[in-house]
Amino acid sequence: MARFHDLTVTDVHKTIRDAVVVTLQPVNGAAEEFDFTQGQYLTFRRDFDGEELRRSYSICAGKDEGILQVGIKRVDGGAFSTWANEELKVGDTIQAMPPMGGFFTALDADSSKHYLGFAGGSGVTPVLSILKTTLAREPKARFTLVYANRGVNTIMFREELEDLKNLYMGRLNVIHILESDAQDIDLFTGLVTQEKCAELFKRWIDIKTVDTAFICGPEPMMLGIAAALRDHGLDDAQIKFELFASAQPGRAKRKTASGDAASSANQTKAAITLDGSTQTITLPKDMSILDGALENAMDAPYACKAGVCSTCRCKVLEGEVEMVANHALEDYEVEKGYVLSCQAFPLTDSVTVDFDQ
Amino acid sequence: MAEDMTIVSYLAAGGVLTNPTNVPPRYRAELMKLMATFVDSELAGAAGFADVINAGPGIKERIAAAKIVLEKTDNADRVLRVMAEFGVDADRYASHHPWTARLERDADIGMSRSDHDMRLSVFNYPLDGWVDSVVMNVLMSRAVVIQLTEFSLISYQPLAEAFRTILPVETRHAELAVEGALKLAQKGAASDMQKSVDYWWPRVAASFGSGASNKAGALKDMGLRRSTNAELKTRWEVEAATVLESLGLKRP
Repeated sequence: MARFHDLTVTDVHKTIRDAVVVTLQPVNGAAEEFDFTQGQYLTFRRDFDGEELRRSYSICAGKDEGILQVGIKRVDGGAFSTWANEELKVGDTIQAMPPMGGFFTALDADSSKHYLGFAGGSGVTPVLSILKTTLAREPKARFTLVYANRGVNTIMFREELEDLKNLYMGRLNVIHILESDAQDIDLFTGLVTQEKCAELFKRWIDIKTVDTAFICGPEPMMLGIAAALRDHGLDDAQIKFELFASAQPGRAKRKTASGDAASSANQTKAAITLDGSTQTITLPKDMSILDGALENAMDAPYACKAGVCSTCRCKVLEGEVEMVANHALEDYEVEKGYVLSCQAFPLTDSVTVDFDQ
Repeated sequence: MAEDMTIVSYLAAGGVLTNPTNVPPRYRAELMKLMATFVDSELAGAAGFADVINAGPGIKERIAAAKIVLEKTDNADRVLRVMAEFGVDADRYASHHPWTARLERDADIGMSRSDHDMRLSVFNYPLDGWVDSVVMNVLMSRAVVIQLTEFSLISYQPLAEAFRTILPVETRHAELAVEGALKLAQKGAASDMQKSVDYWWPRVAASFGSGASNKAGALKDMGLRRSTNAELKTRWEVEAATVLESLGLKRP
């Protein structure tokens, strides 16, 4: 299983008012594990008031820059991104798992492909990593980036993109679409919708020459672009998505402490929520929560029944259970109240569990 | 920009998820089940078929059988790696279970699965020699190709990509099975083959699940299904019957 490593912060700088670019250096000989592929992301963890938060941010560096760098945009109410933007400084140590994700295609130095990237706001970070790497390693490749932002002052990496255009003269084309700032060409103002893409494909982008498209942005934008690409003949294998839901939960609530810890009989009343409905069942304390649910004709999810696969994960909201084996959940999940229902036996006279959380 | 779309409505509109961080709990459970079903079936299928390699009548047949065992194990590994990103202990998963275990040949379990793994019910029945194995593969590999074609379009991108890589490999297995069957038919094994067809046909058909799944709608909304069980099964019946006909056999 992937494990967290220490990384030292070697540089922090603002790219726009509310986004930082953080350069990291793996320590303790972990450099090899952080050898990333363009377009991958890092998952960080940090304690906030005794509760662990994990957040994933895409790498924005290209393969040939010799550095590990991520872009972090501050999200309203987001504990991690606010901390990174306001408090993180050079010399700090931060923990992350090795790079993950499959938002890339294999490179081939001899190919002369035309790539099309779509980025919305901070969704540009992995696309930037991809375009830098691709243009450096595929000398005959072309890259067109359609980059959507609210206004000129919220464009991350604007100057860097200008520099890249000069460096790769004629091979990199960047089309900025701004939601609120007017531009010379009407088409470049507004949202990137399916209709807007269709217009772009008419005169600005030769969609027939496109081999692969990369999309990273908010959900509605991804849907619109994907629909337009399919309309214009691209199949699913040619369209690569990366989605970091804008609604990554700010902070999970802690498990409620149980009221009745003492046990009298050998029976437990379990309130089990599954697919939006709650059923209260009685089960003996030597029966797992999962078996109890299954015996009562609830369609609870499971696979291995050996505490390995985590398909049967549920959350304990009230009461106590004991897990006899756990090869799948990590400490922070257990702390939040998650258990493997196939391995969880009730300790208290009543428990409340939820498979929908 | 309209950023207030929920994951649920995004999925219902055909959206794609790309990593474990934004997968909702019920989606996660259904996705894990789907992956476990595939991995368990491939591992159990490969383990069962491994025993048959030596029964191959010639060296070509043994190579084909060994290749199928190797590649099915490899396919299981591909999907297991996607599961690992959700926290599954992949090494333990592959080794925690006796994948060669089978029930009696005449056990009647319908669509039910064993208590301890998610393999499709058909993989709980033992193979009975070379001819039987080839026939089972002719029928089942067709079913696998149909299922994989369906699942190559699911809304979890890393898994859809794994399935798109696996599909041509399994398609080749289906071709190898038919090649092997053709050889047997030419050698006059038709009546034994027909017996195996009669045995495996209903068992492979059962692996498509029940026609009246009450979860179909929810799975469709999550982008984890497109066709119903019944539609897939009908597709298989038509294709498998055509293959059998080309071998001079008939569906029961």
